[in-house]
Amino acid sequence: MNTNQKIAKVHLTSRFRQLLVAILSVSFGISMYIAMNSFMAGVNNIQTEITFTSMSHIKIYNDLSEKIAPIIPKPKDSNTVLMVNNARNIQYTQGIKNADAIKNELLNLPEINGVALQLNEKVFIRNGVSNTSASLSGIETVNENKLFETAKYIVEGNLSELDKRSDGIILGVGLAQTIGVKTGNTISVSTSEGISKTFKIIGLLESGSKGADRTRALISIQTARQLFSKNKSYATDILVNTYDYNNASEVAEKVRKLTDYKVESWQEGNSQLVSSSLLRDILAIAVSLTILIVAGFGIYNIMNMTVNEKIKEIAILKAMGFNGKDVIEIFLTQSVAIGLIGGLVGLFLGNMIVQMLDIVPFKIASHNTLPVVYNAKDYILAFSFGTIITLIAGYLPSRKASKVDPVEILRG
Amino acid sequence: MNAISIQNINKHFYDPVEFQVLKDISFDVKKGEFVSIIGKSGSGKSTLLYLLSTMDTKYNGNIAINGTQVTGLSQNELAKFRNEQIGFVFQFHFLLPEFTVLDNVMLPALKLNKRPKDEIEAEAIESLHLLGLKGNEHKKASKISGGQQQRVAIARALINSPSIIMGDEPTGNLDSKNTNIVFDVFKELAKERGQTIIAVTHDDEFADNCDRIIELSDGKLIR
Repeated sequence: MNTNQKIAKVHLTSRFRQLLVAILSVSFGISMYIAMNSFMAGVNNIQTEITFTSMSHIKIYNDLSEKIAPIIPKPKDSNTVLMVNNARNIQYTQGIKNADAIKNELLNLPEINGVALQLNEKVFIRNGVSNTSASLSGIETVNENKLFETAKYIVEGNLSELDKRSDGIILGVGLAQTIGVKTGNTISVSTSEGISKTFKIIGLLESGSKGADRTRALISIQTARQLFSKNKSYATDILVNTYDYNNASEVAEKVRKLTDYKVESWQEGNSQLVSSSLLRDILAIAVSLTILIVAGFGIYNIMNMTVNEKIKEIAILKAMGFNGKDVIEIFLTQSVAIGLIGGLVGLFLGNMIVQMLDIVPFKIASHNTLPVVYNAKDYILAFSFGTIITLIAGYLPSRKASKVDPVEILRG
Repeated sequence: MNAISIQNINKHFYDPVEFQVLKDISFDVKKGEFVSIIGKSGSGKSTLLYLLSTMDTKYNGNIAINGTQVTGLSQNELAKFRNEQIGFVFQFHFLLPEFTVLDNVMLPALKLNKRPKDEIEAEAIESLHLLGLKGNEHKKASKISGGQQQRVAIARALINSPSIIMGDEPTGNLDSKNTNIVFDVFKELAKERGQTIIAVTHDDEFADNCDRIIELSDGKLIR
């Protein structure tokens, strides 16, 4: 420890209460930063978790082609007038005929975690006099469960039962209520092409999204192909999950090279989700930085007071031969010490707050407590912001101290 | 070689109105001389001392100390120069209150950083004993009496064996007993170690016992 640091140490330890207040203000700022960001990250994770219970990271389907070839090529010479009335973009093919081939190709990609085929159609469900429209999904139960953990949301019955019974159907709870049926009842399903089939309700589904539960009905994909008279490999949607949903856009780009069908990553279809989680992040960082900056003002104030209080001593030090740099070192060392100690205490305190939030009871999705995330990045950032701010807040008063004119002070 | 040589010093104050404090002052001080600067209040004697101390650099003229031209040096060079060459004793002792007596004495030597810490400490303790402060080394500087504080300040001024010791009314705040102790220390330093002493004083008795008196009146040198 050199002489300047020793002086700094004496200054700090001789006024314990001020030191404590300064350290606490830094700790508070840093712990709040950590708590806010851990909580916001937790909320964002829950949001995505809820989102991905019914939505895949990437969806492949047969869409109207966006590139429309002109019916008649543009005439070359300017004397010819070309008129085409009522040109329409017509979809000639429905769904994906060779879904299994595409599925196998997709599973070879290292980024892809799972693929599930779906056959989705609008149908009418009838129970005696009451009838309603519903969106019927033919699903591959095993793959579906791997992607969306569907089995977790089946409140009555069993998902795998669909594979065993070709006349089994699972209804959303809202849908069952609308038409007044219970598990075990039979209903009749009619397609838009007028084909009717009787199904037995073997289970109820409650996904948490009321809108979806009021329209959703699940059957096995084989049964669906039969119902809509489609070939063995037919599907309307290929749903793909990646290992990291943040990479979905890049993976979608790769998938586009494998197939001509429309490939859509979740970000493209749900920009509001991306922007709302970005907004939450911005808000959390803005609030926590404000807290840190306020703590910085606190340190600035304390260091300024210290400099004013010690102005005579600074003059003596200068008379004895300490130069401006020494004086800056003496006072900057003090604020750096406050910053480092306050930072470490803040990390500890922040972690404690996060752990406390983690046990506060709160029912959301599959969680029973407030959602939080333990992320090393938050701790590192909080610590570096905290120390940088104390450094700046300490430097300004130190510079003022270094400019003290000893003659003015010592002569009185 | 002269310990201090100053030529044609002029100094003005500008606040609140322009006022010339020092008017064309030139003199030399020999090595080992014990010099008093006297004069009425406002005659410019303290101002002159602070110019000599190298802390005040706003003047016209030329100052050389131990053959080094100090006029025109940068603040950092001057700080280093003071640390090595000049010891100070102020009217109001001006110790660092939160440090022990021993730390106060050792600080200028620790700053100079030319000798090991043990040696500095041994010398500081010896110096404090010589000045009759045995047993007070580890007390806080704010916890000893005014006379003792002044003697600590002297010990501090001596620690780097500066060639020049400057005092701004070093006895102005002391009773006659302590005044005599301080005076004797100064006298001995000048005689035995060849250190040059310059002290501003109001005390006629103190001044009369010095080797030489420099008297100022209205900013002019009259003796």
